[in-house]
Amino acid sequence: MKQLIQLTVNGELHEVRVEPWKTLLEVIRDDIGLTSPKEACSTGECSACTVLLNGKPVNSCLVLAVEAQSKDILTIEGLSQGSKLHPLQDAFIRHGAIQCGFCTPGMLLSAKALLDENPQPTEEEIREAISGNLCRCTGYNKIVEAILEVAQSQ
Amino acid sequence: MQQYSVVGKPIPRVDGSLKATGEAKFTVDIALPGMLYGKILRSPYPHAKILSIDTSKAEALPGVKAVITGKDTGEVRFSFIDTPRYPADQCPLAIDKVRFIGEEVAAVAAVSEDTAQEALGLIEVEYEELPAVFDPEEAMKDGAPRIHDKITPTTTTAWEDFGVTREARPYDAVNNISNQVLITVGDAEQGFKESDHIRQNRFVIPTTSHIALEPHGALASFDSAGKLNVWLSHMGYEHKRYWLAKTLGIPISKVRVNKTYVGGAFGGKISLFPYELLAAFLSKKTGRPVKIILSRSEVLSTCHTSRRFIVDVKTGVKRDGTIMAQHIKIIDDAGAYRSSSPTALYLAHVFRHAIYNIPNVRHEGVGVYTNKLFTGPKRGHSLQQISFAVESQLDMIAEELGIDPLELRLKNLRKKGDILPNGDRLDSYGLPECLRLAAESSGWKQKWGKQPNRGMGIGTGGMFSGGHNYPFGSAAFVKLNPDGRFTLFTGQTEFGGGVDTVMAQIAAEELGLTIDDIVVVSGDSELCPYDIGNWLSGGVYVSGQAVRRAAADAKQQLLAYATEALETKIDQLEINNGRIYVKANPDKAVSLSDMYKYGIQMRGGDPILGKGYTKAVQDVGFWGGSFKGTAALSQGRGRFTDAYGLAAAIAEVEVDKETGKVKVLHIVVADDCGTDINPLNVEGQLESQAAMAIGDVLFEEVVIEEGRVINPTLGDYKIPGALDIPKLTTISVQDYEPKGPFGAKEVGETARGAVIPAIANAICNAIGGRIYSLPMTPDKILKAMKDEKG
Repeated sequence: MKQLIQLTVNGELHEVRVEPWKTLLEVIRDDIGLTSPKEACSTGECSACTVLLNGKPVNSCLVLAVEAQSKDILTIEGLSQGSKLHPLQDAFIRHGAIQCGFCTPGMLLSAKALLDENPQPTEEEIREAISGNLCRCTGYNKIVEAILEVAQSQ
Repeated sequence: MQQYSVVGKPIPRVDGSLKATGEAKFTVDIALPGMLYGKILRSPYPHAKILSIDTSKAEALPGVKAVITGKDTGEVRFSFIDTPRYPADQCPLAIDKVRFIGEEVAAVAAVSEDTAQEALGLIEVEYEELPAVFDPEEAMKDGAPRIHDKITPTTTTAWEDFGVTREARPYDAVNNISNQVLITVGDAEQGFKESDHIRQNRFVIPTTSHIALEPHGALASFDSAGKLNVWLSHMGYEHKRYWLAKTLGIPISKVRVNKTYVGGAFGGKISLFPYELLAAFLSKKTGRPVKIILSRSEVLSTCHTSRRFIVDVKTGVKRDGTIMAQHIKIIDDAGAYRSSSPTALYLAHVFRHAIYNIPNVRHEGVGVYTNKLFTGPKRGHSLQQISFAVESQLDMIAEELGIDPLELRLKNLRKKGDILPNGDRLDSYGLPECLRLAAESSGWKQKWGKQPNRGMGIGTGGMFSGGHNYPFGSAAFVKLNPDGRFTLFTGQTEFGGGVDTVMAQIAAEELGLTIDDIVVVSGDSELCPYDIGNWLSGGVYVSGQAVRRAAADAKQQLLAYATEALETKIDQLEINNGRIYVKANPDKAVSLSDMYKYGIQMRGGDPILGKGYTKAVQDVGFWGGSFKGTAALSQGRGRFTDAYGLAAAIAEVEVDKETGKVKVLHIVVADDCGTDINPLNVEGQLESQAAMAIGDVLFEEVVIEEGRVINPTLGDYKIPGALDIPKLTTISVQDYEPKGPFGAKEVGETARGAVIPAIANAICNAIGGRIYSLPMTPDKILKAMKDEKG
């Protein structure tokens, strides 16, 4: 029943045997052991499970692991270079854009995907880009400020 | 104001990098070798007798390691409130009958989630449906279905365990009445007689969900020596471990709540939940770790939501707007279990009695059992419900009297130094300044009532900084390390508010160190001393004071060593930047690292350990048969809190009169939290509450039809997203609270109770009509506009 698939996660190749119905989220968390993508709804409505699939943000709870075969996957474990944080990580911390931290991994990746595609977004474009990522703690404005600062300093 | 070097600085949170890199571990992230997965079978009926449960097929399924029912867990009852008058009413698994759709009936532990899920489908339960009642006013009528039989406590209650010697009485919920409160101040009837104008209205506030992003979950692991380790998503370990020990029948010392980061709570993770107990029961039975993580729909339909209030408010005023009397009657639609109702009904009075000086008050409340999801605390715990009602009506009164709503509020505020009817004293009271600054910042005088299609509204809120109830206190330790840095042990739990950072700031300030010199150990019941957790917004005020005192204790020890090492009198010494030096000759110094060595070499091996402690309300205590400073909550007597957090908010909205759609344009929140220990955190708390309030007013409601939650997903239950948030202006009015650590007090809950009525009043101001219930959906707005036109 299980299928052998290859996933490239944060630049590392992983071979895993998975049931065809397992989601990418489950495989990243349970088989590969990276716990930053979070499950908060399992229906694609909160985006806490966001990962970048070939550079595009996806809800990994809605993607089957077998669909990610041979694709590049980025989680925030792969965002920093050793102890050097990515500018978005650093800006989130300094701006108070993190409180409980549960939405943070998905939020950071949605922000990265935006800036990769549109390095100079307006505030409205930032809000639009993270509109699917739910956060109950911060009220979003500090997240928007953090992303805007990174965009402006690029 | 005194200048501090660490306190008052916008220092980024100490767990920031852990959370930005994915290293921070939440309960859902923790896995143990041999771990099993638990699932819960829930009632499909709102009210039914359980005739039989057959678990044999589920037990026979390969991979299933245990199936438990009420027979295994027994008739041990637990509750958020458990007093001699109101003994606990909930069991870990239903025993004789079920009282709401979603109630826990059986639980399974299996080698995988899929297997556990499959096993649930093999459990055969035979029910006999009973008539159900969903409306609290129907439930109180004679002849309504009876939800609870007489509850006879099978153990001592929590209050007795905590030292009150008073025997628990059986509780007979006649007419489904779960609990009652009656608080009187002055003479309300006389106050109404002396009033020129009286207004009476009914307001309805629905139940809403906390939607902490991390779903509720627990991992429990019994070892062969009888020790229970748990990892929980929670707000304070004392309550959790007390109930785990009691329901499992093991000593509390054998329960360890381990540190986890908590993905948001907002009051929604405060009490003990059946799934936590069931993970522990299943672990005990299987001898293996058991993890139960609830799905979002389980969270939304089986974990307590906010309290549902129907509020009748009658207010009498003089022509000049002076409030003479207020009569409030609350029907609290508790749902299937009482949970926090007795507390909530009294908090609905006392959170607001610090705001306006109302000489004559009659505050009545009744908690009513219904066959629905039970309700409990949520950020502000009654403040937002009662604020919506009272502040809505004040706007109506202002209009009828022709008084500016801002002036009406300013006229009735209390004053700094006031002694409240129960004896609480307002040593800090920045509310007048909050209102003044919010008005200034929002352009109230220039804009109110002068913009077509736009409206402005005001709201106020008040909140405790920790409460009088046992065990509301905190202790903290600090230990000096060989490098001159300190490790701080605090029982506070980091669930997003930033306590780890703030506690480190307080310790660093007291010890003359930087925040990097403090290593925080928090949220671990085995390592950290007693601490109720961040309840009733007591985190900074109570636990922060304990931390400050622990640091001060260590400082005194350090100075005592230094007097010997430097051969100088203590009053000649100063401590700063990791050094202790002679004030007149700063070169004559020792380092804190030196003092660590000195303690071991010269002071018999004492390396310096500081201890601090405090409790929320110093004047309250009970021991043996006697009470000191407190009496019955249900009569509102006795001291409640030592410091009130206060807030005022003004909102500006635009309403599309064709569609009824609301756009919030600007929210100003001015909050008096005493000293800002960390301005970045304070802003974060205020913006968070403003955003939450937008959801409260515009769209949030857990909709229950015939006992069933019909919107248990984040698709159907909308919370605010980034596009819903307008410009948020936060103003910190720092009225120094002399009893708080460095002058600090509450910040995390008051503002929500101020912003909700501010937005609600702004909408009503824009449409020129009144809406008496939340949320203010477009259909209600269109209807109110139509009604107004007549």
